[in-house]
Amino acid sequence: MIGVISYLVFFATTASILAIAVLGLNLQWGNTGLFNGGVVAFFGAGAYGTLILGGTPQAGHLGGYGLFYPLALLGGMAIAGLVAWIVGLLTLRLRHDYLAIATFGVAVAFENLMRNAEWLAGGAKGVRGFERPLRDALGDGFTYNIFFFLVVLVILIATYLFLERLVASPFGRLLRAIREDEEAAQSLGKNPARVRLMAFITGSVILGLAGGLYGTFYAFVSPQDVLPTLTFQIWAMLIVGGAGNNRGAIFGAFLIWGAWTASGWALSRFAPIEAQLYTGSVQFILIGSVIVGMLMWRPHGLLPERLVVSQRGKTPSA
Amino acid sequence: MSMTKKLGAGFGLALSVTMMSGAAYAQDCTTKIGAVLPTSVDWGRPIAETAQFAVDQVNAAGGAAGCQIEMVLRDTQVDPKVGVDAAKALVDLEGVNVLLGAVSSGVSMPILTSVTVPGGVMQMSCCSSSTAFTTLAEEGKTNGLWFRTFATTGVQSAVGAKVAQDKGYKTIAVLYKNDDWGQDMARQIAADFAAVGVEVTTSVAINDGQPSYRAEVTEALSTQPEALYLALYPAEGTAAVREWISLGGTQNMIMANALKSDEFRDNVGLQYLGNALGTDTASPRADSADAFRAAYVERFESEPNGPGLANSYDATMIALLAMEAAGKDASGAEIAAAVARVTDPDGTAVSADTAGFTSAKEILAGGGTVMFQGATGNVRFDGNGDVSAPAVVWSFSESGIEEVEFLSLDDVDAFIASLQ
Repeated sequence: MIGVISYLVFFATTASILAIAVLGLNLQWGNTGLFNGGVVAFFGAGAYGTLILGGTPQAGHLGGYGLFYPLALLGGMAIAGLVAWIVGLLTLRLRHDYLAIATFGVAVAFENLMRNAEWLAGGAKGVRGFERPLRDALGDGFTYNIFFFLVVLVILIATYLFLERLVASPFGRLLRAIREDEEAAQSLGKNPARVRLMAFITGSVILGLAGGLYGTFYAFVSPQDVLPTLTFQIWAMLIVGGAGNNRGAIFGAFLIWGAWTASGWALSRFAPIEAQLYTGSVQFILIGSVIVGMLMWRPHGLLPERLVVSQRGKTPSA
Repeated sequence: MSMTKKLGAGFGLALSVTMMSGAAYAQDCTTKIGAVLPTSVDWGRPIAETAQFAVDQVNAAGGAAGCQIEMVLRDTQVDPKVGVDAAKALVDLEGVNVLLGAVSSGVSMPILTSVTVPGGVMQMSCCSSSTAFTTLAEEGKTNGLWFRTFATTGVQSAVGAKVAQDKGYKTIAVLYKNDDWGQDMARQIAADFAAVGVEVTTSVAINDGQPSYRAEVTEALSTQPEALYLALYPAEGTAAVREWISLGGTQNMIMANALKSDEFRDNVGLQYLGNALGTDTASPRADSADAFRAAYVERFESEPNGPGLANSYDATMIALLAMEAAGKDASGAEIAAAVARVTDPDGTAVSADTAGFTSAKEILAGGGTVMFQGATGNVRFDGNGDVSAPAVVWSFSESGIEEVEFLSLDDVDAFIASLQ
């Protein structure tokens, strides 16, 4: 029984971290209509940044600053924001698919930089030697996992509340206005380029936060953590959950990650023994089918965006 | 999948396990071990098959520690998140004390730091090669729970340098796979070549999955080396070597063990590989290695020539021998501590098959120690869970792969010492 709880805590931690990332993407795509195809670059920047700033010294590459953990995490977020600022300045004039391709290229470049620049982050070996915060006090086992899960959960809720406030605010309306018709927004005297950049950076900082927590959880990050698969997974979570709806984003993260892990578990347990070797491939087919089915029958996701008419004097609910 | 089908499949599995145990001894208990391997990747599946093959042999010998062994296999998809989750599920939900895997160092490492070390589970990898594990163990952070049967890149690279020295090459270019293994190989081989006085003209990274490696190959070619060193896997190795030869590059080649594959030989063409010599860690000059080959051929109807197969077999066997030595209901740490009893250089030699396992059981029951003579040699772990091994120099031939020279463990150690 304790095993089941221990596993569920572990699962929920990973899912919550991914949910934070999906929330970040939702701000960019769901609310502002920015097609970020390079999710892993910002996620990775946060993870690498946190581990390099907060880790113990490692021979042969940057790191070992041993910063107080919250500072390291903030540093990771800042690095993700900085990357987003540079990328945003260069690419945000692009629209839709062009933006997607440009950001996808950034993500691939990021992965290759991490894989090759050994002086920076250890190359393909990755960054290790990170001491998880408060490990000495709480040990390494179940207690620690519960504690870490609670921290992640609090951060997830805080991020959710922050974004709910943000999208309900006048700024949130502006984001949707730009998403729907940029020229109309411009005709009202707004500066779409600046707002797009702000939304892009904010979303990327949230992605960096998720990455920082992810790196902390595993106490390790390597180029294998920033492969394009992760971008695809986070997008799948957002599309299935419902773009434009923060609750949908969280729901999608838990659902897709749950399906991803549960299908592997169920196949290993129930598939006939001679098919065991093929369960990995079967799992890919299952997950792909779910996403195709969603796109065909529920293109707006399980919890679609609720369109609101904002009225003066009433708190809009988004 | 409907509920009835699930139940049916579950029942079928239970039935087949029961039938297997019935065939050996009348045991009614089953101990689970976990395996996290990239079965959705083409070269990962045979590694998992070989592990299951070892489990079957042990079950035919009556299982380990008094129970039949069931290997619960999970796919990593070469994705660290998925691999870590699978490992955690195996430890928490299936209650395994022994975990085999993973293959990629980038997956094995987070499993080690966030699942097996905190959970006190022994982790035995067939194929992770990163030097980061050695450093982690030296820092005392693996708690002695980590082992790998993949000889560190040091052996390969030293023997590669020896081949270059014996052949009298003066200049050599290096093409390496751009992952942790390849980067380690490139760095070490450069140091070892320098130690024997061979100049490395250039060292070029080869990324996976490119349609062409013309740019990389041209870069290496422009330095006009006398020979070429290849730390590549068959897929990109085939593509790169074809372009190398078609552009007029030398056929003097030295290959790391990852290219020891019939597929590579057939796709490049044997006529171009006459001067190509490979290195590998070797089987001991003992009957047990032949026994493994024979048993493997009988079971899979092909030679065990793929990357990591012998390592996977040995990892599984040693883990199960250690379970036997540690006794029933042993914890992961106790099993890890028992590894020394089954890889003791002064112990009784046992072969890598059912008969070997049966005799090991008797010796261990009598309080003795055994020396497992496996498919990769007389496996002997150092304090960091790393193995050294005898080495072999090989070449391609009509019938497959032929041995050119054998270096015993002492030869290898002496040569490595001479490089320092």
